[in-house]
This record gives sequence, structure tokens and C-alpha cells, in this order.
Amino acid sequence: MEWWSWLIVALAIVLAGAALVVPLQARRRSGGVIAQGRRPREGGGPKP
Amino acid sequence: MTAYMRASEIAKKPVVTLAGDDLGQVKDLVFDASTGSIRCFTLAGRGLLAGPLHRALLWRNVHALGPHAVMVRDESALEKDDRAARFGATEPGGGNVLGVAITTRSGERLGTVTDAVVETGRTPVVAGYEIETDEHRRVLLPVAGPVTVSGERVLVPDATAQYRAGDLSGFGTAAESLRVRLQQDSHEE
Repeated sequence: MEWWSWLIVALAIVLAGAALVVPLQARRRSGGVIAQGRRPREGGGPKP
Repeated sequence: MTAYMRASEIAKKPVVTLAGDDLGQVKDLVFDASTGSIRCFTLAGRGLLAGPLHRALLWRNVHALGPHAVMVRDESALEKDDRAARFGATEPGGGNVLGVAITTRSGERLGTVTDAVVETGRTPVVAGYEIETDEHRRVLLPVAGPVTVSGERVLVPDATAQYRAGDLSGFGTAAESLRVRLQQDSHEE
């Protein structure tokens, strides 16, 4: 293969990797608004 | 003066010490489902490849919530882990409210939560939600009175459906009008 063919293959791999990583990374970093529910009472069990 | 901002405006704000050190950025807002008060933030690292930091920042350790950054005294303001944020999130009434349905107590579906409106002050509270209606319109809905919040549904009093705002400038009036209406309703009962 010509040298430029390898260059195109390498660029394609880099682009495919970026296309995979960027949305994954955006999802890891995306924020939420988290409601915290009732705190479990120590020892558990039914409320006396 | 009461000021309101969207939760999405607080998320991604840098967390900076008074000495100017950059500790990360806000990822999640964690609030008490029963009172609406903000308990803490979770943090993510800065930079494109940084992930979650797994450290929480309790509200009581926040020095100031400014328009461009969350200020803390120093790095010791951060918890060593994010247990404070995870606590209760999987209990009944816990979970991420973004994307959940919001309905009145009589069962009328108002829309889907796309953001939260935070009333800033000494103790900030979740004062309402931005919702996307079934007609794909985005409106701000104040919350007051008996509100049930969980990761599956937000239940609000029936009167809430009549008090909407198109933007944050009109949100305060809508919130106050709803409060007055709910007080009148409770006196009549």
C-alpha cells in the first residue's frame, strides 16, 4: 500500500475513536437534578 | 431580593477556592424531595477528558454562588467522597427528576420535566420546574404546597396548572400568585 493509504486509515481510526468517545464523555459529565428521598431510619424495621 | 436561575445554569459552573484554585465543575444538583432545599452538588473534573470526581460539595460549605462560579473557602470544603449525594437517591421518593412526568393530583398530565428552577438565597430551594408540554412548548411551572417528588413522577396541586411563566422574569409573579391561591384554598376548606 502507498504511504498515503496508511495515513487515511490512521485518520479514519482517529475519527471513529473520537466519534465514539465524545458522546460517551458528554454523557458521563452531563448533570442531573437529583431528589433525595426519605432517609432510612437506623436499624430499619417498621415505624413504631 | 429573590432571584431565580435554572439548574442547568448552575451545572457546569466552575468550583473555585478563594485563593483562585480550580477544583472542578458542578455536575448534579441534589435536593431534599420533601422540602426542595438544595443539599449538595456532585462534581466533575475540568477538561474534555475528565470524568466525575466522586466528591460532593455540601451546600453549607459553599461560600458563594455567583453568576460565573461556585466559590468555596478551600479544598477542604469538598467531601472526601460522594456518599452525601448518593444517600437517599435510591430510597422511595428519590432519583433524577429530569425527564420524569409532572401531573396534578387529579391526574392531569402537564408535561415532562426538562430543568429545575432554583430560588437562590441563604438556602436555595427548587422553586419550580421547566417542563415541555405535550404541544412541545417549554414553560416554567412554580411548585408550592404539598408536592410529591420522585425519580418517577412529580405530583403537584391541581391549581398549579393555571400558574405558568414563559421565562424567569415572570416566574416570581407566577410563584407568588400560586402561593396566594393555595393559601386561599386552604382557608376555604
